[in-house]
Amino acid sequence: MATPADPSLNTTSSPPAAPTPAPASEPPAAMEAPSQAQAPKAPKAPKPAKPAKQAPKDKPAASAPADAQGDEKLSPAELKKKAKAEKAARRAREKAEREQGAPGGGQGPNTPAGKKGGSGDAGAPAAGSAAKGQKQIPRRGSAQAVPQAEEVKKKKENKNVAVFGHLYGQQRRNTVAGAGKEVHPAVLALGLQMRDYVVCGSSARCVATLLAFKRVIEAYTTPKGTSLARHLTTHLSHQITYLSTCRPLSISQGNAIRALKLAISSIDPSVPEAQAKTTLCEFIDSFIREKITVADQVIAGSAAQKIKDGDVVVTFAGSSIVKQTLLTAFKQGKKFRVSIIDSRPLFEGKNLARTLANAGLEVQYSLISGLSHAVKDATKVFLGAHAMTSNGRLYSRVGTALVAMSAKERAGGVEIPVIVCCETVKFTDRVALDSIVVNEIADADELVLTQPPHQLTDLPDPAAAAQPEPKKGGKSAPSNPTPESAPKSSDSPLADWRDTPNLQLLNLLYDATPAEYVDMVVTEMGSLPPSAVPIVHRMSTNL
Amino acid sequence: MAAPNSQITKPSEPFDIVATYNDLLRSDPDLTMPIAAIEALVLLLTHSPSSTISETLDLLEKSTTHLKKSIPNPIGLSAGTDLFQRYLITTLQRPGQLGPAGDFNAIRAHLLSNSRLFIRRAKESRDKIAGFGRGFVRDGSTVLTNGGSRVVASLLQQAADEKGGPSAVRFRVIYVLSSPKGDIENPTAEPEGMETVRALRAKGVPVATIPESAVAYSLGKADVVIVGAEGVVENGGIVSRMGTYQIGLLAKAMGKPFYVVAESHKFVRVYPLGQYDLPIEQHVIDFKTQEDVDSAKQQQRPTDVPKSPSLNSEFDADSVDFTPPHLISALITDSGVLTPSAVSEELIKIWF
Repeated sequence: MATPADPSLNTTSSPPAAPTPAPASEPPAAMEAPSQAQAPKAPKAPKPAKPAKQAPKDKPAASAPADAQGDEKLSPAELKKKAKAEKAARRAREKAEREQGAPGGGQGPNTPAGKKGGSGDAGAPAAGSAAKGQKQIPRRGSAQAVPQAEEVKKKKENKNVAVFGHLYGQQRRNTVAGAGKEVHPAVLALGLQMRDYVVCGSSARCVATLLAFKRVIEAYTTPKGTSLARHLTTHLSHQITYLSTCRPLSISQGNAIRALKLAISSIDPSVPEAQAKTTLCEFIDSFIREKITVADQVIAGSAAQKIKDGDVVVTFAGSSIVKQTLLTAFKQGKKFRVSIIDSRPLFEGKNLARTLANAGLEVQYSLISGLSHAVKDATKVFLGAHAMTSNGRLYSRVGTALVAMSAKERAGGVEIPVIVCCETVKFTDRVALDSIVVNEIADADELVLTQPPHQLTDLPDPAAAAQPEPKKGGKSAPSNPTPESAPKSSDSPLADWRDTPNLQLLNLLYDATPAEYVDMVVTEMGSLPPSAVPIVHRMSTNL
Repeated sequence: MAAPNSQITKPSEPFDIVATYNDLLRSDPDLTMPIAAIEALVLLLTHSPSSTISETLDLLEKSTTHLKKSIPNPIGLSAGTDLFQRYLITTLQRPGQLGPAGDFNAIRAHLLSNSRLFIRRAKESRDKIAGFGRGFVRDGSTVLTNGGSRVVASLLQQAADEKGGPSAVRFRVIYVLSSPKGDIENPTAEPEGMETVRALRAKGVPVATIPESAVAYSLGKADVVIVGAEGVVENGGIVSRMGTYQIGLLAKAMGKPFYVVAESHKFVRVYPLGQYDLPIEQHVIDFKTQEDVDSAKQQQRPTDVPKSPSLNSEFDADSVDFTPPHLISALITDSGVLTPSAVSEELIKIWF
């Protein structure tokens, strides 16, 4: 393995250079960081890898799917350019595309190579018949992709992590193009917002979904020949399918949708449509109020009681309910400190830190790598939840289990109580034994794209160089000064990980915390041990 | 019973729930705290002239808070008051003659008669528990127990009784007696539990009494640990007399089963996260320097000469600790033998 590993090592360090538009700047760019000491050699080494990468790039206008391949390894900045070029190209070939179900060109970009090759074969006959359902085509490789995809397939390895292979499924939707005409604009927008984590968090997604569905119901008219109770459910399921292609539905969304569908199906067919719609809208409003808004207040109230003067509360990422709890406790005049643990790539804790600090709390913010230090003086751990499973496990943002475990297993100290704040709408009758079987995989590119902090040792931008030149020049002289001509995004050594052999990236969203590491679950129905989750779930769904 | 007494005093002075509660506890040694609380509340309702439901609930709420505030350790008590309040509300919500639409006097009469039935049943539950618990005392085994729990006493006595069951179990008892030193007000008092020790010895059960400091030493000879509880909390742990937690820890370390005997009316809606998270104030750990001791002595001398300047003088014999659920093998209650996690299920059933 030693010899094949070497070129791969080199290639991993070289990528910063690869996508650079100006080849002249390559060697200096590689030299700028001392960690990339071997970089000078790199430009030679990656050459065999380059053709694979360059090939699709060289013919952007040749075919839309080729663009798609190129897009995969590009930064958002370049993505935009590509998208524009692609759009123009598509317009020019509009007619041809229509014949072949070409919206696929727009949808394809994120389809992984392996999958594309596989589905491309299946897609070929499908594209031949233009009448084929529009919704399916976008997610599959289009006819044009076939020759291209097969060519790439030979050179590319599967970038899916094998253990989590079952989780990859469909690629996430990138655009509203190709969505069914039944899908309501509010739902279309929401889907993209959820995909971009603009609407993020189990409760927020649940509420947003219900509100969007309320607008769907308001805009709905029963077609002739069907009844509302029968047709609205199928109408809604189009919306739901669309949403789930943007991002897999959360447990709370699933529970809310189930409740809504039950409410729809229990509507008497003889009830006039206007009245039925009002009933449903009222149902949605009361569901949000009872299960989320008021529930959150109750939970925040009772969880805040557990915070005592002098406590050091550790929390992970940004849970809205934990935020509410901490603010409630603070308003009650309790004196405590908050230590927020955050993690890449979502950095949900940043918002929480800012909100709490603005409110006047004493806040310490650190990343999960500083966990053991933060846990040292902690007295309580408050966690939010994505879901609670029937065996009492906490299913939450990846990293939560680590926080809970280090709080419980703290060596040589008193163990710290771990408190979970969770509405009962997040309870599920599913069972999670590990975080492998059920999980969600986000786009691995999220791990790659980071804005590196401004480096003092960098040479300033040529444009803005005028004034600070003398100072910085002196400073950066000892280290290798390099003109920063490469775009920011290409700085990441992993930028073109898809072309790097033997490299797979994994961006999991959730993990499962064993029930033993959770002391208490605060719900709107009271405080429970994690073992009582199935009982409460049964009762709250029967009510 | 205290009922007639308080009925006489009622016209002259307002009903004092705290005094009634204390009277009840003193008058009947078999009475547990939650039951005494319920009985006191029933008496309160008999005396109060309230004529509407909300008035009744309001009165109940107020007296409960008052009662809880005036008793140093309201955990056991709140189990009773919560249960009674819950029972009242469910009764009032029921449709029919006794529901909100019905005649309030009828409701009240029904409530009072049922409450008495409830109290009687609660007392009987001890026998029921003894029936369930017998099986845990095996022939030839040695049982380690502590405190003055009446349920444990009745369980052990019934197990030893030849008349009661199929055949008497031959077992031995190691009884942990807490030092009476803490009880300063009553220096002549014997340690709690001596009564049970005598009763067991009278039945021919060999009983060894050991101090709390000898638990770890003696546990090797014991096969099973059975303790009582003041309250069973939501996560399945117990609040019990000081010293139970350490027995639990030792039993866990030595791999001995640790059983808790408690009536189901002792289930209380409290969720302590640890020893210092109990909803009561107790000053068990009290740091002092010689200066503090001296100043305390000087303050005492003029007034309280008899009070001994013992270092333990602050130690309250009634203090409790919390035994977390993972130390408990099973809870023997009148609704069956439960695992700690089943307690929350039982509590949820009562409350929803």
